[in-house]
Amino acid sequence: MNPFEKIFNYQVISRLDDSGTFMVTAHERAWLKKMLKHPAAEEAFTPETRQKLQGLLQSIEELSTSDYLTEKAKSAEKQVYHPLLRILRRHIVERSGIRISFQVKRGRVQPDRSGLAYKLEYSMVKREWYLLWYDLRRHALMSTRLSKLISIAPEPLDPAAADQVYEEIARTLDSRKTETVLEVVREYHKELSRILYAFSCFEKTVEYDEEQGTYRLRVCVLGDEVEYLLSKIRFLGKRVRILEGDYLKRRMLEASTKALERYGDEVSPNADEVELSS
Amino acid sequence: MAKESFDKEIQFLRMLVLTSGAYSRQQFAERLGISVHTFDKTLRRLKDIVGTMYQQLPQEQSKEFAEAIRFNYYESADPMLLFLFRAKSLKGSESVRYSLLLAALNDQALTAMELMDYCCGSLPADIPLPDEKTIRSDLKYLEEVGVIRKESASRPYRYRLDNDLVRELTEEELYDLYDFVDVMANTQIPSVQGYLLRDGLKKHLLRNQAEPLALDHFLYKYHYYSRILDEAHLFTLLDAIRHRRRVRFLYFSPKADKSYAAQNTNPLFERESEGKLEKTLPLKVVYDHQYGRWYLLASGREGIRKYRMEGMTQLEEEDPVAEQVFAEKAAALEERMRYSWLLDTGRPVTVRARFFNPGHFEPNFVRERVLLQGQWGQIVAEEEESFIYEIKVNGTTEIKPWLRSFGSSCEVLEPLYFRREMIAEWKEIQAYYESV
Repeated sequence: MNPFEKIFNYQVISRLDDSGTFMVTAHERAWLKKMLKHPAAEEAFTPETRQKLQGLLQSIEELSTSDYLTEKAKSAEKQVYHPLLRILRRHIVERSGIRISFQVKRGRVQPDRSGLAYKLEYSMVKREWYLLWYDLRRHALMSTRLSKLISIAPEPLDPAAADQVYEEIARTLDSRKTETVLEVVREYHKELSRILYAFSCFEKTVEYDEEQGTYRLRVCVLGDEVEYLLSKIRFLGKRVRILEGDYLKRRMLEASTKALERYGDEVSPNADEVELSS
Repeated sequence: MAKESFDKEIQFLRMLVLTSGAYSRQQFAERLGISVHTFDKTLRRLKDIVGTMYQQLPQEQSKEFAEAIRFNYYESADPMLLFLFRAKSLKGSESVRYSLLLAALNDQALTAMELMDYCCGSLPADIPLPDEKTIRSDLKYLEEVGVIRKESASRPYRYRLDNDLVRELTEEELYDLYDFVDVMANTQIPSVQGYLLRDGLKKHLLRNQAEPLALDHFLYKYHYYSRILDEAHLFTLLDAIRHRRRVRFLYFSPKADKSYAAQNTNPLFERESEGKLEKTLPLKVVYDHQYGRWYLLASGREGIRKYRMEGMTQLEEEDPVAEQVFAEKAAALEERMRYSWLLDTGRPVTVRARFFNPGHFEPNFVRERVLLQGQWGQIVAEEEESFIYEIKVNGTTEIKPWLRSFGSSCEVLEPLYFRREMIAEWKEIQAYYESV
């Protein structure tokens, strides 16, 4: 299977677009057939649709990779699909209001809150789905695990009000953005590619100073994502140093100090200083 | 003609994405080991594709191009790098013909002769009229890639567009399918074919909507979206493994300065190639979720070899080996990889670490994360404030970053040398911030 088929050529696709022609290749069908075997397919379709799809793909040879392709350091896949996705997606696309009840800490229930569903977000780290929604009474953008939802129902919402909420969400997201500047520590420049890969899941820019030969990463995250960024920085250890971002610097100092306290007496000035690259 | 390779485009896009506009044209070209002229040409070509696909033409400089394809979480529902896989070059007349044939077969079945008449009547004046042989070979190709199919078994064959997928499903079912494809392409590997399908379905749904509704309701947090670049080599490698064939490629170790050397066939690009020509028997492809990177594990003269896919260029299949040889090597690799956190095939050690639970009133996110990410390791003892995790793993190098990412919630207990290493590292990290 060659992913660079002539038929995928951009001019062909753009012309088909103009003529309103839908095209699907054997490659895509083979992929779909493989994915339909995943347990997620049971949540994603009604039994009739799934059967229909299996029928349509019956004569297709499934894309086979499993024997020779291994995934490493993968999180346990506790949830790929959630049955509520189908329902919630509809509310989002139609921009309808919602009435929602969900569980909060220690089993308490938040009943019947009115809101607008904004997006469905999958955390690749926690392997779970979240609903991002706007609480109309509290004027707050919320993130609620789908597994904590108790009930959800559509509720009429004036389209003009929905537009306003969307603007408000955009403003909220913008105001939550924080920027951190990191420097790649010079001894680790040979690992630059690995380090940049580790940050490629963030919104970032890289600055290279040719005279100094330094690389600086300007990483932009939303307020609540700082924790994940910190875990990435700890993950990379000595390879990067925070240059700008007092809160993060303090947290790194705190983490290293507390970590050293865990090791107690062994932390003497003479302890062997060994470093293996990792 | 030599097989068209996309090494230059892949390396180019990778560098663009990873360094997000850090380099000037000159620096960029130098690092790729190409001339500024080639750099400009590649950039122009990619811009042309992006422009055609997305009808938004980025500005002249690479910095702004990087800006245009830069990762922007809440606005990036479409996988921008997918356009790489649209880069296969095609003669202008060919692309016009393919799209014309497919459009003609959209709602009727036609024979080759009917299609030829149709083409002759519809082609723009500046494109040469096709002969029967051309049309037949076009149809053969389109049938091969599964886009059209013969409607009956008797001659003359009538062809029709193979688009049952959208014809047989109701609109509601198509939305479900679109969502499923979106989720699977983003959370599973391989993804490229899924993204291509998603693209087609999205356009189809948007075309048929009574009122324009956005179709970007899903977000994926902390997604290594550049991972699809390496899928360019994936299928060649899987195919070679399946047929027990050796492969040959020019390898740029990621530590080398340059990551691409133009093929020497074109005198314009001629230069000393600094990569190393490798010939090896591929055994397994590994995707590492920690960094979002791909590796090839192979058997060479020196035993097991590990290659980063990003360093591989000019990949080609070679001669096959005997099944028995492959089976032996594959089994040996399997055995050596049993305890690899990622790829380490070194000596297995048992690592023990104590994890500290967060306060009583907080959900135990430490334990949750250990269970989720701790691979085959086990929680072997639990106390009120902490628990002990144990894992047999090849060497400590690869698991170290993960343990360190827990900060003060993790204390390495064994082996002792590993514990000492961790202490030394925390000291150095502390020194970075002591002046805060």
